[in-house]
Amino acid sequence: MSTLTDTPASTSSATRPARGPRLGGMTWLVWRQHRAAYWTVLAATAIALAWMVYQRAQLMDFLTGYGWPANSIESLGPELEPYTEAFVRASTALGLIPILLGVFVGAPLLAGDLEHGTAKLVTTQSTGRLRWLAIKLGLTALLIVVSTVALSVVFGWWWSPVKEQNTVMYWTSGAAFDTTGPVPVALTLFTVVSGVAIGVVLRRTLAAMVVTFGFAVVVQLVWSHFRLALGDTVTVTTDKGVLAENAFPTLPDAAYQIDQSYLTGSGELLGWSTCAHEETEQARELCLKQADVVGWSVDYLPISQMSGMQWFGASILLALTAAVTAFLFVWGRKRLV
Amino acid sequence: MSDGTYAGGPALEAVGLGKRYRRGWALRDCSFRLPTGRICGLVGPNGAGKTTLLGIAAHVLEPTAGDLRIFGAGPGSAEAGRRTAFLAQEKPLFRRFTVAETLRLGRELNPGSWDQGAAEHIVRAGNVPLDARIGTLSGGQRTRVAFALAFGKRPDLLLLDEPMSDLDPLVRHELMGTLMAEAAEHGTTVLMSSHMLAELESVCDYLVVIASGGVRLAGDVDELREAHTLVTGVRDGEGTPRDLAHHTVVESRPSGRQYTALLRPDGPISGPWETDTPNLEELLLAYLRSSEAPPLITPSAQVPGQAHGIRAVAA
Repeated sequence: MSTLTDTPASTSSATRPARGPRLGGMTWLVWRQHRAAYWTVLAATAIALAWMVYQRAQLMDFLTGYGWPANSIESLGPELEPYTEAFVRASTALGLIPILLGVFVGAPLLAGDLEHGTAKLVTTQSTGRLRWLAIKLGLTALLIVVSTVALSVVFGWWWSPVKEQNTVMYWTSGAAFDTTGPVPVALTLFTVVSGVAIGVVLRRTLAAMVVTFGFAVVVQLVWSHFRLALGDTVTVTTDKGVLAENAFPTLPDAAYQIDQSYLTGSGELLGWSTCAHEETEQARELCLKQADVVGWSVDYLPISQMSGMQWFGASILLALTAAVTAFLFVWGRKRLV
Repeated sequence: MSDGTYAGGPALEAVGLGKRYRRGWALRDCSFRLPTGRICGLVGPNGAGKTTLLGIAAHVLEPTAGDLRIFGAGPGSAEAGRRTAFLAQEKPLFRRFTVAETLRLGRELNPGSWDQGAAEHIVRAGNVPLDARIGTLSGGQRTRVAFALAFGKRPDLLLLDEPMSDLDPLVRHELMGTLMAEAAEHGTTVLMSSHMLAELESVCDYLVVIASGGVRLAGDVDELREAHTLVTGVRDGEGTPRDLAHHTVVESRPSGRQYTALLRPDGPISGPWETDTPNLEELLLAYLRSSEAPPLITPSAQVPGQAHGIRAVAA
């Protein structure tokens, strides 16, 4: 490898490593410094993609054998279970990505340079410090976007045949909502950039990783808590009483029911346990009549809202990401290494 | 002393420079000029602010007060960044990079000014293999690579913070030789902090001494030395001998009747005294030991318009 020539500049191919993209300047430095992390992310992504493509092929074999899409898979029970299992495993792994990348890529990104003094080394070269910051963040963000977009697309593609089967995954659950569309990209970007900012403030790699882990878990909890609030709840009401066989409104396929209550003639809502304690059917009927219950009122989120909710949520996360990035650049200009 | 160095303006100029951390001032009221082309030693007791001063010049620290200019430009400017190289005290390098990759870092980040030949020459002179990882090198070898990186940038102003602290005498001598040869050939200005007083004597032709109160001594080494006289003799009684009293006594060391003092003479010295020009080490030690001695800043090191409250020295 020591094939250095004595002529300066322009012969930059002399020290080029055997593998890796052809890079120059600051991009070369950032890639070289973080190449272990970057290659790990790319390799893990490739393995995960291959595995999901294989799982999708298995699923399609099974479904075609069953006669899908002519035969509805609504009634499939235990036969579908091994395939459901694969979804659980994959979505759990995908759900960990924001935390893992935040802790192992985001937190050490600048904290390592600040801790070991290499920030001083890099920023005292001719290339400006803002360029260093921009390329560090930019290259890392690019890698994250490429990786998470690919995973999101392939996971969504694998899931699409059984998307409306609540027995596989509820679309409102983190397992499906946070792993498809723009959500995994935005969640990961936000967590990683926040990890970088935590590293910049703490200036110690290990401390930054620990704090970023806590932060990433909190982000997941808060996100899960507000996930349903991203949608516009649809309310459907009936006027055929509540006791009859088909009195309950029919919801669209894969709709996620949020709440159900009795509706009175005056438009009031009563809990659906009203009159539940009456001992006989007649007594219950009388009780409901006295309460003036005329039908059901059901709140739900249709699956048609899923994409809109994901984009809305992702845009909030991306706005937060932009704010943290702005902080990092202000820090880069004012607070020095 | 030829002073053609004034022509292009100073390489570095500090005016009322100060830096305060949470625990107090690390550097205070620091004003001096470093003319272009000089090799300047920066000396002071631990905690005097040498590292802070170099950090401000290298733009890794922001001053709390005052101003510092490098060839007339602010430390954060692109021009100052391009013309300055900084070797930090801890000699930071990427531990997982090979030596060749470390030099490539210099080349990639200093397009247009990188001198691969000079950098490689310094590395090869120490028999450091180019494919060795930085993490596997000894402290001295690592310092050598850090030196190569600083030299390869071809700076007009080289800032070195304790560059010699972990080198054996042989390597120290060799690297100092390289430093002087490079500086002479390219007209590089060097500002170097060090505790090795003897080492400085052989390398530096300019000197800045800072202590908690600010700049104590600044100027051309020969001028500074000649402005002082070391007197030895036998005295009668206690205190400063009467015939020396009208000179500025920087430091006096009576031992019994034997009396030794470093003076800044004001006129000819009369009396039964043996006089000598102090060497750099004697001068530095005297100023570092006696903090109440008045500072001396020679005209070439003075910032115009700054009142120093001292007499100018006749060079």
